[in-house]
Amino acid sequence: MRKILKTREINSFLFLAGLIFLVGLINPSFWQPVTIINCFNDSVVFTFLSAGIAFVILTGEIDVSIGAVLGLSAAVGATLLRDGYGIAAALFAAIFVGAVVGMINGIGVAVLNIPSLIFTLGVNGVVRGIIYVYTKGAWVENLPADFTLMSNRLLTKNVTYFYGAAVLVVIIGHIILTRTRKGKYFVAVGDNSAGATLVGIPADKIKILSYVLCGIFSSVAGMIYASRIGFITPTAGNGYEMKAIAACVLGGLSLTGGVGSLAGASIGAVIMSSISRILVFLGFSSDYDNTITGFLLLTIVVINTSAQNHTVRKNRHEILLVRTAQKGGEKA
Amino acid sequence: MKISFSPKLKQVWKKWEFVLTLIILLEIIIFALKNSKFLMPRVLFGSMNDIISICIISLFVTFVMITGGIDIQAGSIVGLSSIILGVAWQDFGFNIWAASCLAMAAAGVCGGISGFFIAYCGVQPMVVTLGGSFLYTGIGLLVSKLSATESYKGIGGFPEGFLRLSKYRLFGIIPFQVIIFLILAVLAYILLHKTRYGREVFLVGVNQNAAEYSGINTRLIIMSTYVLSAVSASVAGIILTSYLGTAKSDIGATLTLPIITAVVLGGTLSTGGKGSVPGTALAAVAIGTLRFGLPLCFKVSQQYLDIPVGILLLVIIIGRALLNRPGLRVKTVIRGRIPHK
Repeated sequence: MRKILKTREINSFLFLAGLIFLVGLINPSFWQPVTIINCFNDSVVFTFLSAGIAFVILTGEIDVSIGAVLGLSAAVGATLLRDGYGIAAALFAAIFVGAVVGMINGIGVAVLNIPSLIFTLGVNGVVRGIIYVYTKGAWVENLPADFTLMSNRLLTKNVTYFYGAAVLVVIIGHIILTRTRKGKYFVAVGDNSAGATLVGIPADKIKILSYVLCGIFSSVAGMIYASRIGFITPTAGNGYEMKAIAACVLGGLSLTGGVGSLAGASIGAVIMSSISRILVFLGFSSDYDNTITGFLLLTIVVINTSAQNHTVRKNRHEILLVRTAQKGGEKA
Repeated sequence: MKISFSPKLKQVWKKWEFVLTLIILLEIIIFALKNSKFLMPRVLFGSMNDIISICIISLFVTFVMITGGIDIQAGSIVGLSSIILGVAWQDFGFNIWAASCLAMAAAGVCGGISGFFIAYCGVQPMVVTLGGSFLYTGIGLLVSKLSATESYKGIGGFPEGFLRLSKYRLFGIIPFQVIIFLILAVLAYILLHKTRYGREVFLVGVNQNAAEYSGINTRLIIMSTYVLSAVSASVAGIILTSYLGTAKSDIGATLTLPIITAVVLGGTLSTGGKGSVPGTALAAVAIGTLRFGLPLCFKVSQQYLDIPVGILLLVIIIGRALLNRPGLRVKTVIRGRIPHK
């Protein structure tokens, strides 16, 4: 089991490396460290979003309200900043919003036992509407300069603070999920919810926790979005939920739950968000963006699933062979 | 799941459709009391124009969800078929009806590809149709580049006969689109509830293995539901193109969530095996009336309409969940004692 997990992440990492290598072959100017690191820097919003939804996907559920949560928390944080509150207060308010929506999602899915796609779909509509009510349909502009400039501050030579923070959070989350007892509960619940309950894991609480974490990550992504873009429209984050889910799939997570990791999700986010940049270097217009994304997603998933099915069948065949051999041995 | 053939559950279904009818009537009464203009047949039927594509597609997405799948690519196929229609007519000199057929055929192929991956390769429906929605949106954009017209302008100037598809009104009142919707609804009803194929769709949703062992080609059935929903999406795309008078590649971008909302509100289980065409049709009409009546009678801005629709969906699914689990009380949940399912 652990081996499979490892190979899945390494697969997507190799895929990313291969992609960078191939693009570099066609257009050598892509191979400069600045360009490649900028691919990573630009993915920071999606890294947070995908890492957040990875918790939910690992437990075998889905959350399509994260785009709206991103928009709402960005709007809430941005209005506070505009009205002269500090960055810490704005971030706290945004995280609070994300956690509350996540809590509602979690209770709906885990306690009321409503299919997650449908419940979060309803929440998505309501939250999207709340954004309009809150902002009165207007843009949130005139954010303080020290907040918008934060997105350009560099940690080291090329890496921004934000991406550094994202990497740190993903690594911590990854270690918690794979090394600690409580962290392994997430995968266990996703792998087999009923079985996890039987061995004493509080499956419902883990699911609620995963939604709260997802909400918090989305709201942090919202604040970073606000800092990078500099203004918030009421449609901010529209469609981001689908892209984040796609990033998770590219990163080797299975939507049935129990397979994958945060590291994989964040690599998927980098692949996802650098496609348009790569297209520019290949000389295509960005019109091909969606086509390539869809094509990549379908190809990877189909190959992955076919390979998995093949192994399952092969294993079953081998087990059968071993069993028949044993029986033959007993008789003799 | 086993009960779904028993008469008891059939009564619940009937009840559910009854509730939906009540909701529609209630909406109409409230809106009519507030603004008597609402009851004018021309206005009332005119309200259908904006939601007709949701109504048509959700009828056939019901099939997909009964087999236990989900289809979130329908919105992108609406745009794709609209732009194929436009480009084939304007830039390749097709007859407008031939172009419509071409658009429907292309949509069928798209649905077939997704259905093939889902049914024969065993990939999760959500992932495939997610990838499909990216792919077909992208292809739609690329097709629009084949045209001499700039893609953001959209292709216009369609012949009169094609535009009449949405402008014609039977007896001067009922728009032709509504008639198409009713015909499709009856067709879908017969197909799902009165034919062998429909029973097989249900059985696949209840238990795919059992269906397979009883001699049903389950994979073909699953694939066919995606083809059906894609073709219905292209029909909606053609009608929408006729109504708007322009072909664009992004006209279906916002449809996905309302479609799923309509299907779920109509009583279809997202886990499969249960659902009905009349339920979906009524739910779609209920949502449409709400979206139309609130701005007209209560001056609710168009942008806020997601809230009432979302709340309607949440209230109904939560209500249903609470009814299904009588042991669940708010107090016990707050105290952290969650009763077993």
